[in-house]
Amino acid sequence: MTGNDAGVMPDPVAGLDDRARATFAAIADRLIPAAHGMPSAADVVDDARLGFVLRARPDLVGPFLDALRPELGANPDARLAILGRDEPASLAALQLVLVGGYYTDRRVKEQIGYPGQEAIELRSWEIPPYLEEGLIDAVLARGQVWRDPSTGARAVVDGAAKTYAQRYWPAERQSEGGHDGRDDS
Amino acid sequence: MTTEPADVLVIGAGASGGVVGRRLAEAGFSVVCLEQGDWHDRADYPGDKLDWELKARKDWATSPNIRGLPEDYPIVEDSPVSPLMYSGVGGSMLIFAGAWPRMLPSDFRVRSLDGIADDWPITYDDLLPYFRQTDRDFGVSGLAGDPAYPPDPEDPPLPPLPIGAAGLKVARAHTRLGWHWWPEFNSILSAPYDGRRPCVQRSTCQSGCNEGAKASTDLTHWPKAIDNGARLITGARVRRVETDARGLATGATWIDRDGGEHFEPAKVVVLAANAIGTARLLLLSADARHPDGLANSSGLVGKRLMMHPFANVAGLFDEPLMSWQGQFGDLIESLEFYETDERRGFVRGARWGLAPTGGPINTALPSRAGTQVWGPDHHLHVRSHLGHGANWGLFAEDLPDEANRVSLSDSVADSSGIAAPEVRYRMGDNARKMLDFHIERATESLIEAGAHSIEVDRLMRYSGWHLLGTARMGDDPGTSVLDRWNRTHDVPNLYVVDGSSFVTSSGVNPTSTIVAIALRAAEHMIETRFEQAVPA
Repeated sequence: MTGNDAGVMPDPVAGLDDRARATFAAIADRLIPAAHGMPSAADVVDDARLGFVLRARPDLVGPFLDALRPELGANPDARLAILGRDEPASLAALQLVLVGGYYTDRRVKEQIGYPGQEAIELRSWEIPPYLEEGLIDAVLARGQVWRDPSTGARAVVDGAAKTYAQRYWPAERQSEGGHDGRDDS
Repeated sequence: MTTEPADVLVIGAGASGGVVGRRLAEAGFSVVCLEQGDWHDRADYPGDKLDWELKARKDWATSPNIRGLPEDYPIVEDSPVSPLMYSGVGGSMLIFAGAWPRMLPSDFRVRSLDGIADDWPITYDDLLPYFRQTDRDFGVSGLAGDPAYPPDPEDPPLPPLPIGAAGLKVARAHTRLGWHWWPEFNSILSAPYDGRRPCVQRSTCQSGCNEGAKASTDLTHWPKAIDNGARLITGARVRRVETDARGLATGATWIDRDGGEHFEPAKVVVLAANAIGTARLLLLSADARHPDGLANSSGLVGKRLMMHPFANVAGLFDEPLMSWQGQFGDLIESLEFYETDERRGFVRGARWGLAPTGGPINTALPSRAGTQVWGPDHHLHVRSHLGHGANWGLFAEDLPDEANRVSLSDSVADSSGIAAPEVRYRMGDNARKMLDFHIERATESLIEAGAHSIEVDRLMRYSGWHLLGTARMGDDPGTSVLDRWNRTHDVPNLYVVDGSSFVTSSGVNPTSTIVAIALRAAEHMIETRFEQAVPA
């Protein structure tokens, strides 16, 4: 290996001959056929998509090619049954390559309404809806949940906040002028 | 080449090792850490890339047996639950979800309250100041005032993360049911903090956090430790802890990536290698004076392994919830059925955490519950599942059982030729009954929230995140490995600060408690530094 090609992975699709491609297409069409407005995986998962998956997961190349070997016959249902019974690792590799190629395709992602794992800005300064709806107050109103080791029973805490507002605006702080006097509870 | 022994040698650069390394370095100790993994550049994490779901199933799998990276050691499994961990600076925090609940007061008094297992030698109140400090050190987001815990006047340092559309639906359902729920505490930033960026809700927390929003000690602790003089050696796989004729630890022998052997001398040795790695090292350190392994006069090293049997209850909803987004730490939790009610037919309980549901590849492949749909209906399956789910993860308290244990394999070794750990584990009857009960209640929760169908994984195989109990603490050297300050009874300058020390498992994610205990141990080492026995 020369310095120029260090780290460059050989074309992972190079091991696929026309027969293996035809076998894969038949299986792809059986597992994910065109239906309900979605395209067949046979039409979507081309060499580019296969290459993408196998470059990300070079460990799948071997079991993927094993699953496509001609000795398993021309019938895709029979092939899948044999793999499921005798070679579950090869079947799992075949399914993952197929699904990985299909659902990383831009058009498929658009059709299923999946934009990818997006970066969404948090707005942690906003009051969350569960507070505004009073859902936290409902939890607090039911009292303590923890078990007091000294009694073995549900704890009883005198003066525990019964509402979220009470925790942040207790009476003594209100009297110190730390609150606008409005009754938030 | 080091000739002077370090004041403290820490083995393992994960959660507990980071806490101890940083605190001791800040206190002026000379600290060396040996870590078999490497530093990671978070730009390389796959979460923000198109191949994330593919990489998450191999190089970023949570099981070292699936990853098979050179820095991983294989685990021989005789267990329905696979142990999960990661080797690297930051340790398993790099791949953990980030949920950050504390153990509860009753968790430390299991024998007194429920007549089973053992009480801890320490209490919730003993740990409270350390919980608060580690919350600040790691950057915890949450909503104060959870009535499932004793009132704490101190707020978490950051406001809570969003609970998402799924969390809101379930919160409303629990309000109608009169059941506890609360926004989850996560060691994931909801706002900029300590030079780190906040969460962007990408939900790829278990493949490394691209933002650095999720806490891990490579971000939160080791840089500060190194600034204070600590020396962190990566690619360093420890073979054994060495001792002298007085029975004191003298340091550790380790193997580098090229197979070269080294010795790192130290006055004090701290093991922080998780409850499998630490037990393995203590057993590997057997010699003529310690034929059953180091610090093992009790015979308990490696025994009482607890892993929190885990069930998953998924609800599917008609309306889109965009549930591929959101912190994978948890959205909300419920502790409604956490405490013992013997009418249920078992003791102790389980914590529930509501989590996002993953992307399309995860949805399309056979599910945790075994569902797989191919053919024309495959598209309907993906359409009805992707972004339409809410998952309750149920962590059952695992009671200690000496038959559940870590031992050394006589046939499998790691890439350095060191014997691999062998894990023998069975789930107990109490935990099975507990999970069955909680599955039924979680199903009711999701149906009340509007789920039209439920899918259940009654015991998830790849769920052994919480490795606990293989060197338990206690006051009696005959029935425990560590004292209440995490020092081994047998070797006065050898400490264990990871989850090995747990007496019982509780039913909550343990990292918050592990690091609080580690900080408490470090503070005690500082306070007693002049009384500490050290080798000549």
